[in-house]
Amino acid sequence: MRAALRVNGRSIEIDVEPDDRLLDVLRDRLGLLGTKEACGRGECGACTVLVRGRPVVSCLVLAARADHVETIEGLRDEAGALREAFADTGAFQCGFCTPGQIVRGVALLREGLPADDMALRREMSGNICRCTGYAGIITALRRTEGARAGSSR
Amino acid sequence: MTVGRRTRSIDWEARTSGQSRYVADVVLPGTLVARVLRSPHPHARILSIAAEAARRMPGVRAVLTAADLPDRLYKHEGGRLSDRRPLARDVVRFVGEEVAVVAAEAAEQAAAALAAIQVRYGSLPAVTTVEAALAEGAALVHERASGTNVSLAIDRAYGDVDGGRRAATVTASGRYRFGRQAHACMEPNGSLARWDPEAQRLELWTSTQSPYFVREEVAQILGLELGQVIVREVAVGGGFGSKSKITDHEVLAGALAMRTGRPVRLVLSREEEFATTKCRHDFDVELTTGADADGRLTHREARILVDNGAYNHSGASVTGASVAAMASWYRTRGGVHVRATLVDTNKHPGGQFRGYGHPQVAFAIESQMDELAAARGLDPIEFRILNAHRSGDVTQAGWRLRSTHLVGCLEAVRDAIGWREKRARGGSGRGVGVAIAMHVSGARTYEAANRSEAAIDIRPDGEIRVRFGGADPGTGQKTVIAQVAAQELGVDLSRITVVTMDSEATPFDLGSWSSRGTVMSAHAAGTAARAVGRRLRELAADKLGVPPEDVSLQDGHAVAGHVRIAIEDLVTGLGDGLSVTEAAVVDTELVNHATGIADISPAYSFAAHAVEVEVDHATGEVRVLDVVAAHDCGAAINPTAVESQIVGGVVMGLGAALGEQLLYEGGRLVNPAYLHYALPRAADVPPVRAIVLGRADPHAPYGVKGVGEISMVPVAPAVANAVAHAVGVRIRELPITPDKVLAALRARDGGGRRRYQLWRRPGRWWISSMRWAYPRGIHALLDRRGARSVGVPPRAAITSLERPSAVPGVVDTLRRHRDATPVAGGTDLLPLIEQGLQRPRRLVDLSGVAELAQIGETSSGDLVVGAGVSLADLARWPRMDPLIRRVVASIASTQIREMATVGGNLCQAKRCWFYRNGFACYKRSGVTAPCYAVLGDNRYYHAVLGGHRCQAVTPSDLGTALVALDASVQIAAPGGPRMLPLARFYTGPGETALRRGEIVLAVHVPAAARARVSRFEKLRLWEGDFAVVSACASLDLADGVVRDARVVLGAIAPTPYRALAVEQRLRGRRLTPDTIATAADAWVGAAHPLAGNVWKVDAACGLLRRCLDACRASHGA
Repeated sequence: MRAALRVNGRSIEIDVEPDDRLLDVLRDRLGLLGTKEACGRGECGACTVLVRGRPVVSCLVLAARADHVETIEGLRDEAGALREAFADTGAFQCGFCTPGQIVRGVALLREGLPADDMALRREMSGNICRCTGYAGIITALRRTEGARAGSSR
Repeated sequence: MTVGRRTRSIDWEARTSGQSRYVADVVLPGTLVARVLRSPHPHARILSIAAEAARRMPGVRAVLTAADLPDRLYKHEGGRLSDRRPLARDVVRFVGEEVAVVAAEAAEQAAAALAAIQVRYGSLPAVTTVEAALAEGAALVHERASGTNVSLAIDRAYGDVDGGRRAATVTASGRYRFGRQAHACMEPNGSLARWDPEAQRLELWTSTQSPYFVREEVAQILGLELGQVIVREVAVGGGFGSKSKITDHEVLAGALAMRTGRPVRLVLSREEEFATTKCRHDFDVELTTGADADGRLTHREARILVDNGAYNHSGASVTGASVAAMASWYRTRGGVHVRATLVDTNKHPGGQFRGYGHPQVAFAIESQMDELAAARGLDPIEFRILNAHRSGDVTQAGWRLRSTHLVGCLEAVRDAIGWREKRARGGSGRGVGVAIAMHVSGARTYEAANRSEAAIDIRPDGEIRVRFGGADPGTGQKTVIAQVAAQELGVDLSRITVVTMDSEATPFDLGSWSSRGTVMSAHAAGTAARAVGRRLRELAADKLGVPPEDVSLQDGHAVAGHVRIAIEDLVTGLGDGLSVTEAAVVDTELVNHATGIADISPAYSFAAHAVEVEVDHATGEVRVLDVVAAHDCGAAINPTAVESQIVGGVVMGLGAALGEQLLYEGGRLVNPAYLHYALPRAADVPPVRAIVLGRADPHAPYGVKGVGEISMVPVAPAVANAVAHAVGVRIRELPITPDKVLAALRARDGGGRRRYQLWRRPGRWWISSMRWAYPRGIHALLDRRGARSVGVPPRAAITSLERPSAVPGVVDTLRRHRDATPVAGGTDLLPLIEQGLQRPRRLVDLSGVAELAQIGETSSGDLVVGAGVSLADLARWPRMDPLIRRVVASIASTQIREMATVGGNLCQAKRCWFYRNGFACYKRSGVTAPCYAVLGDNRYYHAVLGGHRCQAVTPSDLGTALVALDASVQIAAPGGPRMLPLARFYTGPGETALRRGEIVLAVHVPAAARARVSRFEKLRLWEGDFAVVSACASLDLADGVVRDARVVLGAIAPTPYRALAVEQRLRGRRLTPDTIATAADAWVGAAHPLAGNVWKVDAACGLLRRCLDACRASHGA
């Protein structure tokens, strides 16, 4: 069947099977390899993308139902400060979960981080990281938010 | 100076923008997809394999069985220890063992081919526990020299054990168990292989910590020369030891590539990752430690049983390492005697894992240190300082401890956590604990493990490239190499590029394991860079006519006096530039398997961790409030990376301490999914504080010592010690889960066994008798009737996705087509299909039905929520009830809540880990199949009340809360809508009253219920997990008196359980602490728990009390 997607601002029409996963369409058909598959069951967050601005796990999204999609490739500039903060805080080691963490983080930064660190940690709990113990990720989000608040003042 | 400075990972831009290429991201035209056929049996003879039909299937390019490969064993540790083939020949020894492998054009074709391979098995008796394997007359996993299931036995005495025993005035003894832990690297294991028939070379892109070991094994198995196997560089998505030797996909991908002449990619699924890759070895340690009147340790005696799994791999050396740790931990006046036995079982094999046998024995040693300190009346930190090694000590295992700052680590954590003040307040539910560790920085377990090479090229175009043969699985070696090279060459870090792994481009190195990565790579890169620097100074000296000693390298230039020459200008006359390869060697002794005594590492690291915990008396849950981790890991080349290693190791240690464990039933893994494996998520752990002492080791290159492994070693005993301090109970078996803690608290408080008076409940007699009969033959009989595994059949193609815009269209399609299924959020559809639990052909998309997406209130204040409203939108709705918000926040993750709908949540299928993970259970396979939860691990996700043939529960948290709110569901049926109270909607575990063609339209919550005071509480194993127990109380309170009450318990019974007895105890009474205390237990007489989940009865009472307390507080407020 025909799917009309808007991926990172670009309109795309492609033929898909009814049960094709958005993750596979992004990776195999569109060559957007930054979105990673780690579990295929929606349990780890590595394949997080934004659909209509909302963070979702692309391994569970039927491509035929997706419309406005943003991936790590489309968000790399918006995430520039966050990415630098990741590098400065040791927020990644192997990097495999990192695109998903960044995409999730971008969505959170857009709506504003929860004031409470535990609430922030809850929001980030859909993204497993096995390497870093999360401390750097949480610090990087806070730093980015702080820098943003500083620059808008 | 770049060494010692906080430095961004040199590939940070690629890693944070999705540009790093892992195995799954390398694109080669014409790549085939490989899949593995695995044994469904823990132990069986392969009678025959018929693969011809599969070979002829569309898209299938090769099917390989053992007969198609050379009959060779993986070398691993070599000699008699080698025991495994890449594909099973004649006998399979664990569930998941590789039997055949397929390469096809597409994944579905490969899956179809697997299903078409006919393997006939003759079942053999299996030993799936160490106890069973050591029993008299046990079935043998292998024919070992021992004639038993003992693969290796070490009986070793160090020093004067008898003397130590005589000197002891106090001893402590105990048995400590550390279960199997999965590495759970985020990147699944995988390889991409390409065979070049002209050059006769095999290229491998493989996720490994050691390209060298992969090449060596692939070459010897496939009959190639080492030079014919080329490993290419890829990003490696985590290792933690799991990839420090060959795993089990490289040879298979390579063989398929050679057979087909096409590139072949084999990437494991997450389920395969959990169920078949090598995990941390299960240790069972009986330990006695003695101390003299001064508090000095006198001796240590240990008996260690190691569950090897079905093949050796590194079992022998892990066991050996644990013995050396036993002999090295602390100064000991007398001696140490260890008897360690490595035991074969029919489970997937253990392997290398961060810590390498140390975490397991550290749990025993360090738990017992606290017990001994208590017996001696000493503070645990003082006791450790008294016995700690100092610089210059030589341990009984021959380790020469050159720089030792263990005491400094202990003092640092004591100050940072506020030890003295907090230690004074024990037994209050909060407590602090401490533990230490020591570790090698690259053990010389192979002759050549003390040597690494690096090459450096200075190109005329100015590029400076370092080539290193190891791999950087996230541990930061590439950056370390660049920092060292930049410093030695006097250039900016940004000019350095680092190539690793590629065996054509890089010289010899054995890889990143044994905490050797930084020590060896820095040493090698530094040695090569200094050699290059000498050459550059000579070249400059020649040009300038000055002696080389007068030339220095600064800012990318050779500088002599006022003259500066850019270093690229020095090499323009040399063709491609300047290339130098140098070997770096560290002074160590080869491990001695005969004596267990050798100075195997260039340096030894030390750590002390202090942990503060809070123990929930109601649920048994342990919450970690603070961790301070002080490390003597020498100088830090990149402090940011070192701290990240420490914090990451601590959190991995917290996982092992509090939740992570692979669980088995009949040799088959019960929990091969992140969903069922309690590894820490961000909200499960505190912000760990790392303290790096930063005292350079005077003998190690750049003063560095290893930090990769040691950071997880002290964590579990520190937690156990903190729990003991908090509540006075000592848990000696990991992980320290709520069931163990709550049972221990009940025993501590003298709580007897609860009585369920089954003799007075005729309705339970049949179930009681079945439960009695299960272990007495019924289970075995039913289990034998089907294969233990059902083997998920290839999925049926889905032919259509219909997108009706109105309810009648949905109902009509569902009614007309038996093979149609509605899809709303879709969060469980694909998993159910993958798990073989649903086989729809048509999907009916509900997301376009506007009616389902409504949310609003009636004029009388009833809440009406369309079934298609996402959980996230439900919580976001401005006038949403706080109770419902609270429930939603406890469900899954943000990502899932954005997709999942209210209707889908209410209707979701059961989450029983047997049902979901391929067990041919009663619900999956019918009445002649057993319920695996009756005898299997039923501690968390099964019923304690009302269970019949199936022990699963309804997983919906919304269901629990909405029953308490008297909600009804509006159902669209072919004949028109009908309303049903939610309480009657559930007919079984995750089963509903919906008939074919029906869907849930909306949920109605009456205004009267919304006006009540309500509270929801949930116990789960990790943030976002399904409920282990949940409770919801909804009270109509007037002046402190309960006029009416709804009390519902979730995850306790097959359906949300309305605790009428509790409601009755509350109604008409003043809501006092006394009322709450008696009412919360009033339902217990209806329970009928299984052997493992009795504790849930207590946890449910505790949560219920908490709900009622909260209602009381909020009413008062």
